[in-house]
Amino acid sequence: MKELSDTGNVLLIAAFAIQLLSIVFLSFKNERKALFTSNITMLVGLTLGLISTLSSTLFSSAEITSVSIFSGLIRLDGLSLYFLFVIQLVAIPTTIYSISYLRHYVEQKRSVKSFITFYIILLISTQFIVIANQAILFLVSWEVMSISAYFAIVYEKESEEVQTGSFYYFAASHVLIFILYIIFFLFHHETGSWFFSDYHLSFSSGLMVPVIFILSIIGFGIKAGFMPFHFWLPQAHPIAPTVLSAFLSGVLLKTGIYGILRIYQFIKPMPEWCGWFVLVISVISAILGVWYALAQHDIKRLLAYHSVENIGIIGIGIGIGFIGSANNLPAVEVLGFGGALLHTLNHAIFKSLLFIGSGVVYQNLGTRNIELMGGLVHPAKYIAILFLIGSVAISGIPPFNGFISEFIIYMGFFKTANELKNYYPILMLMFVVGLAFVGGLAVACFTKVNSIIFLGSERSEVKHFHTSVYDYISLGILALLCISIGFYPQPFVGVVNKVIANGFTTGASSALVDIDWLYFTMIFSSIALGVFVLYLIKIKLEKKYGRRNSAAWGCGYENLTPRMQYTASSFADELNTIPKAILDYHKKVEVSENAFPLQSKFKSHSKDFVDSKIVLPAFNVLRALVAKIEFLSQTDIRYYIGFILIIIAIYSMIAFLWT
Amino acid sequence: MENVLSILFCLSLFYVSVTSRVKAYVTVLRVQGIILSVLLMIPFIYKFSIFGIILPATLLLVKVYLIPRYINKVILDLDIKRRIEPTIQQMVFLPIVIATMVIIFLASSILSKSTELDVIPFASGFSAIVIGIYIIMSRKKLIVHVCGFLIMENGIFLFGTAVASELPMMIELGTLLDIFVVVFLMGIALNKISSTFEGFEVTHLGRLKD
Repeated sequence: MKELSDTGNVLLIAAFAIQLLSIVFLSFKNERKALFTSNITMLVGLTLGLISTLSSTLFSSAEITSVSIFSGLIRLDGLSLYFLFVIQLVAIPTTIYSISYLRHYVEQKRSVKSFITFYIILLISTQFIVIANQAILFLVSWEVMSISAYFAIVYEKESEEVQTGSFYYFAASHVLIFILYIIFFLFHHETGSWFFSDYHLSFSSGLMVPVIFILSIIGFGIKAGFMPFHFWLPQAHPIAPTVLSAFLSGVLLKTGIYGILRIYQFIKPMPEWCGWFVLVISVISAILGVWYALAQHDIKRLLAYHSVENIGIIGIGIGIGFIGSANNLPAVEVLGFGGALLHTLNHAIFKSLLFIGSGVVYQNLGTRNIELMGGLVHPAKYIAILFLIGSVAISGIPPFNGFISEFIIYMGFFKTANELKNYYPILMLMFVVGLAFVGGLAVACFTKVNSIIFLGSERSEVKHFHTSVYDYISLGILALLCISIGFYPQPFVGVVNKVIANGFTTGASSALVDIDWLYFTMIFSSIALGVFVLYLIKIKLEKKYGRRNSAAWGCGYENLTPRMQYTASSFADELNTIPKAILDYHKKVEVSENAFPLQSKFKSHSKDFVDSKIVLPAFNVLRALVAKIEFLSQTDIRYYIGFILIIIAIYSMIAFLWT
Repeated sequence: MENVLSILFCLSLFYVSVTSRVKAYVTVLRVQGIILSVLLMIPFIYKFSIFGIILPATLLLVKVYLIPRYINKVILDLDIKRRIEPTIQQMVFLPIVIATMVIIFLASSILSKSTELDVIPFASGFSAIVIGIYIIMSRKKLIVHVCGFLIMENGIFLFGTAVASELPMMIELGTLLDIFVVVFLMGIALNKISSTFEGFEVTHLGRLKD
């Protein structure tokens, strides 16, 4: 442990100070000026923070030393530093993008100051969550994070969709914080301390620790979006301003993952049922998340469901880690947690890339409905390429970063099967198939997204596709990260390995670094080279033989109209009809019976099972119960005073009889 | 001496439960203020201290002069009718009050066997709290509600002196401040409401509900 002494910590505190300072610049009268200066100050603060994180022991060759500041209120250990790194890394591009995104609002003469204020508070409180070492500080930061995110989400408050969606978020985060309070009160009850560094409990000590574990999976699971608790996520993410959706989906959900990993550090080693519990929930989240995504027409809702899927993949890694910890197998632990942590970083990167990409499209077309888009590759070639990079990465296709983390998780499965013979291989094989299935569906989903949005011909005419340099900078940074983690994973894997060695495993294992990651660099580079050569050949051939142009999805017809193209629903229809009951997938086809068909209609719709079949009915029951005692709610103050009197009478009676 | 003052206090409560004039409520508040101040001054007969006199003096100033004066001003300014408009007939209200006080006195005499307390101040204080609530419940006029709150506050004061021989001064000052704020808020609310609504009855306040 080190106290506040070296320059890194001073830098970190200075970074926070500068980030807070950016609120001050909002006092400029001129909206545009205020927006620009505060965002730039925020960027400087974030960059400083990132530099201090990068200069910490996590990213050097030395051993990680835990640093305590402010008499232990803040502690920087491996996990904190890693999540701090993820937050700052993704916050920088989203902040850059917010300059161009919010400018549209300024042009519509809307004030953006309230949004920026809450956005800045949100960024700062999120960073505090991961470095807090004391339960009260943690809970306060968590509450500030939830509330500021809520206020930022309701920015476009006049629309009804925003009101309902943000209420989902608000209700979910309230339930969540309530559970978190219980968790930390239980910890305090058991250990008598509020400091995280004093929390060491073990499962053998009674019923309390399993209760804490289940509560933490539910509580942090609501935030992260594991399947039965995900229902708020597809409601809240689409309606938030895109800057915020990118941050919410990319980073905020990860605080749930952080919480689960932190709790694991307090109560490790786990019994094996914990591992299976997390594993099963995660596989369900992953499969259903991607399937729900396939059925969506709203681009941002689709991406929100993909967050559920990816959180599921992260959860699978955590589950494997738990199983490894139960059986005292460091190699399995390292692979499981390693995959989870690396996927956390990867998902943060490509999800914010995709959200920002969708935001650029939304700004220009004014709709989030995929069915109304099309042919955007012609006016926005580079956006299409950047979006494609994100899509390939999220689908886990080799040359990009999504593949690396999923590969580690696959390795975890095989390692578990290898180490724990018995019935494990067959179970692991089932999970492998599940994960592969998820990958396949993700490919299908992003094929749909890319082909419908960017390919084909334009469904609604786009006169001028407006992009700004900030869009390209933020998307470029993220895409570059996707590519670099994919092509050169060695340093990132090394960092993850260090995090795990610092307070995760029961014993040392080099399973993660033993994989020769340079082979990946070599293979991917040669694939890339091959593609490049093929591209050159294509250009050469085109020059020689010319190029034949015809309408996309032409299928040999003449006089195509944009309405005759493949649509998103027709693309996904076959796949969506398989789990019809769970997806609540409904199709409505109206064909006119005339001899000369005049007009036919097709409509498809999918509702969230958990939302429509569990959450809403439960709340309706609750509302019916409450309605029964509604007669007590009078308009007249005298009745309330009467109630108070009755209560006092009852209390005094009890007190009187007691003595 | 304390018992005599407490019984006087109880008598003022009886009076307040039968009277039908708003003015009488203000007078009762003044009387109760004097009783409480005298009660607090009793210890100084034996031992005088300049510092301890601050609280009774403040009490006298606030409860006997400032608050009644303010209420009278509100009554005059807003031209409130002089009748209190009860929802329960006085002849019914008085037996309820008496029954309540009997129960409270009996209960506190039983309680005094197990814990140490002065029965009469304790029971009077408690009765004042309950009767304050009764008054709020059974009267329509907002200004009478204010008086009800103040009677409750006086009850809490008496109650406090009976339970502990010496309440921490800060707490007493705190309750004083509290009630002061209530009175002012009510005054402001009445002033505001008078421009929007006709009359000053709580039944109209229901229309403010969202």
